[in-house]
Amino acid sequence: MSEPTGRSRERLEDLFVVDADVHLHEDPAQLAEFAEPPWDVALREIAKVEERYLDLPGLSPRAEYRIPWPGGSNRPQTVWSAASMRRELDDLHVDVAVLFPDHLLSLAMVREPAFAVGVARAYNDWLAERWLREEPSLKGAVVVPPQDPAAGAAEIRKHAGNPGVVCAYLPAAGLKVLYGNECYDPVYDAAQEAGLPVAIHSVEAVYPVFPFQLEQFRTAMAVHALAHPLAMVANLVSMLETGVPVRFPQLGIAFMEAGTGWIPWLANRLDKEYVERRREVPILSERPSHYMQRFSYGTQPIEEPERRGDIVRLFELFDGENRALYASDWPHHDFDHTQFVFGLPFSPEARRKIMGLNAARFFGIEPPA
Amino acid sequence: MPTPVRESREHPIGTLAELPPGTHRVVRVANRELGVFNIDGTVHAIPNLCPHQRGPLCTGSVSGTIDYGPHTGWRLAWIWEGEVVTCPWHSLEFHVPTGRCVAFEDITLRTYEVRVTDEGELRVVI
Repeated sequence: MSEPTGRSRERLEDLFVVDADVHLHEDPAQLAEFAEPPWDVALREIAKVEERYLDLPGLSPRAEYRIPWPGGSNRPQTVWSAASMRRELDDLHVDVAVLFPDHLLSLAMVREPAFAVGVARAYNDWLAERWLREEPSLKGAVVVPPQDPAAGAAEIRKHAGNPGVVCAYLPAAGLKVLYGNECYDPVYDAAQEAGLPVAIHSVEAVYPVFPFQLEQFRTAMAVHALAHPLAMVANLVSMLETGVPVRFPQLGIAFMEAGTGWIPWLANRLDKEYVERRREVPILSERPSHYMQRFSYGTQPIEEPERRGDIVRLFELFDGENRALYASDWPHHDFDHTQFVFGLPFSPEARRKIMGLNAARFFGIEPPA
Repeated sequence: MPTPVRESREHPIGTLAELPPGTHRVVRVANRELGVFNIDGTVHAIPNLCPHQRGPLCTGSVSGTIDYGPHTGWRLAWIWEGEVVTCPWHSLEFHVPTGRCVAFEDITLRTYEVRVTDEGELRVVI
């Protein structure tokens, strides 16, 4: 007799599903309505330019070249309103979702700090008004412009009282100063004080800042495979180097959209280094992997090993049962369907945590009684 | 006990006039969804279900694909124009006439015979 599977005991529809990473589409014309002068004027100019997928001159510049083969994905990859997002998430059986931006994934690459701050402020106000107020099951991530950490801290304080806001979003693509640097302390101070975790999120980029110098690679396969996890690795190592989790012990920290395969590798690598070089990092009183076990990690794009059971073994290596946050990345090209992640051979208890309860705890979202 | 053999039946799925060469559409028939493709006058049918994450495969676009190896003289070759459907979810490619997954040789979709009656009606054999 075959053993009953998790799926036969519990259906996806019955599970509390929190999606830790979905992407709304920020229309520059709408952002202009919320922007202070003169950035409203600039955003209206940007709105006149035809935009492509995560590619809009002036707002999300892409210094990359792709050969436009026909036959790729032809479905819409943008969601323009809270009502549309709710409908689409209903199809995915997602109960609560955390909204991240599209174009502002590249915010760190904006060179004019005042413009970056102006856009971030407009986005955060627009998010609160047009998305969080309209649909309470959609939760917000306050965008922090890394060009001006003090302004970012002010944004966190401004929006922390909004019950729809559940974290601060730190853009990683093209980031010039990694997130371990003390210049970001005001951001971590504000977030910790407000009880909001921070979520570091990257995007594919070819830009001359570590770890995005990827121009030696020829294909999107190579660039996309490397850009996301390298961005997380770089920032996580930087944050451990300066002891961010020691200096801000109450701060929740999540690493999004890089899969999870890199986590055990990095944990073991850092532990090995720590044996020999602890005196360089006296702020760490435990092996680095212990701090990494306090962080949270978005599942998407979840690895798809040839032997399906290997995903369970991989999760065991970083306590994924308690640290992994299901994320779909809807509606982007490499989204993971709830049904797919739900169908992986986790134990029923691990599945409930990964699909929703871990994120509920991390973001402070109340699960249903 | 011998396994009972289910007889295959013809099911009407519209007319050839509704499916000009170079077009494809999704039909619901006998409790399943199939993608029906007219490729140069021959009608093919495959399941509208991608084996990767169960995406609606046949709502994707149709084009060709790229090949490379000793059989192309080590030159990039554009092949199977009009015969490859790409899943709209994650872009996995399938060769419609054979059901073969281009990326993974061990995956082949079931293909269904589509008969055209003298009156131009399409009938899929399931």
